[in-house]
Amino acid sequence: MKLLRVWNDMGMAGERNPASCYLDERTFRLCCQLFLQHSETIQDGWSWEQIKGTDEGFMKKTVLMPVKPSFLHKQHECSMQDENMVTDDVQANVEDETAGVQAVCEIHAVLRYEYHVLYSCSYQIPVLYFRASTLDGRPLSLEEVWSNVHPNYRQRLQQGPWDTLTQQEHPLLGQPFFMLHPCRTEEFMKPALDLAQAENKRMNYVVTWLSVVGPVVRLDVPLSYSTEVSAPD
Amino acid sequence: MADDKDVLRDVWFGRIPACFTLSPEETTEREAEPYYLLLPRVSYLTLVTDKVKKHFLRVMKAEDSTEMWFEYEGTPLKWHYPIGVLFDLHASNTALPWNVTVHFKNFPEHDLLHCTSNSVIEAHFMSCIKEADALKHKGQVINDMQKKDHKQLWMGLQNDKFDQFWAMNRKLMEYPTDEGGFRYIPFRMYQTMGERPFIQKLFRPVSPEGHTLTLGDLLKELFPAAICAEENPRPAALHVNPRCEWGNLQLALPPPSPPACLTTQPVTGTEISLSVPVLPW
Repeated sequence: MKLLRVWNDMGMAGERNPASCYLDERTFRLCCQLFLQHSETIQDGWSWEQIKGTDEGFMKKTVLMPVKPSFLHKQHECSMQDENMVTDDVQANVEDETAGVQAVCEIHAVLRYEYHVLYSCSYQIPVLYFRASTLDGRPLSLEEVWSNVHPNYRQRLQQGPWDTLTQQEHPLLGQPFFMLHPCRTEEFMKPALDLAQAENKRMNYVVTWLSVVGPVVRLDVPLSYSTEVSAPD
Repeated sequence: MADDKDVLRDVWFGRIPACFTLSPEETTEREAEPYYLLLPRVSYLTLVTDKVKKHFLRVMKAEDSTEMWFEYEGTPLKWHYPIGVLFDLHASNTALPWNVTVHFKNFPEHDLLHCTSNSVIEAHFMSCIKEADALKHKGQVINDMQKKDHKQLWMGLQNDKFDQFWAMNRKLMEYPTDEGGFRYIPFRMYQTMGERPFIQKLFRPVSPEGHTLTLGDLLKELFPAAICAEENPRPAALHVNPRCEWGNLQLALPPPSPPACLTTQPVTGTEISLSVPVLPW
């Protein structure tokens, strides 16, 4: 990811053993524990969800996000289009409806984003899942979620080969979520890990990783995480 | 390797006869006749049901239809699971044909992923292949393949072309015995009870002492409740030929006495899915 070009420039000097880009599950849980402690301190709203009867679990946070009202109506109209169905009549009806509604709704619309940080044993890294809905419970379409991705990231995400933002089944809850594809993680974690190793610092993998991927999908990770959260022993 | 090829073909060409009926909630201009279709076990519902869609849309008003979705006895069917897995999970105990209900409205947003085009299915399929290779070969084989090779895998599945598919898939099924074989076995154990849709864990094909592990070992470790101890000894068919790729496994165990019915459903040979409907005690 070009995002971390600055990290690459800081040099991969030396032939020492490169730090592993991978995270075992136990270290993931320890990183999360430390992350959650800090979240508690700054009231950042993260919690741990344990899967009953196992030592597995994930971090979770819900955020309310104001957006321009036109965002929702325009996107909803687009997402209703389907290769099969839209006739001219239907299209006209939808436009009339939204025109009327738009006139009425001048206040900000609010979206509800729910973020989950899970561990992937296949890729041995954390993965970010999220779902988004309007306040009255209507789930956002992929198109709407896309349009809420920060413009800086949109082009990069669209490069594929397997689109990095897709709808997926949540592996623990079995419900539709959106997921940021993990196959690029190594690209941006490696320089960060090498840098930390070169400077003899230990970093909290989850903090570093979430600070990079979170903003792509409007998840804010305050800077204090990077300074205050330690690495697990 | 000759027998293995037969097993591969049997898996690939496995079919389930299905009868598609339009939901009575849908409004039609004429009566909708049911539509019969032989479904390939290794494929995906939304990939093979274009004819079903066309058949029912003919008797409906265009504006009444949005995304088509399927349901069996009240349960929305997850199109992103292989058809064979869906059948084994939900209907393996019932008489054929498999009676599936077709819907065009009230898409269950909280249960099903959207599938608005074949490229969504392709992305999902390739994502599964990639994840399986991450487990088997740290992703090295899939990443070394060219884009056209990936496309060939997909086209082979889409067009039901066994040779075309396996020309590429055999690379993904290479089993480097000098390195102990696959790093981990890609498998998922699907279940119908509870929230969690499947169990997926890291499982090495070889024990720390160097013994080749079998499917029975995997089940014993992860789903001990399904494997009764001495009272119900598992048939010898559970032993896996260590030379044979896991994807070649095809076992259909007759339903034992409760609580579990076990069938293994290797799909494309790059992953193995175990459908384990667990009946309540």
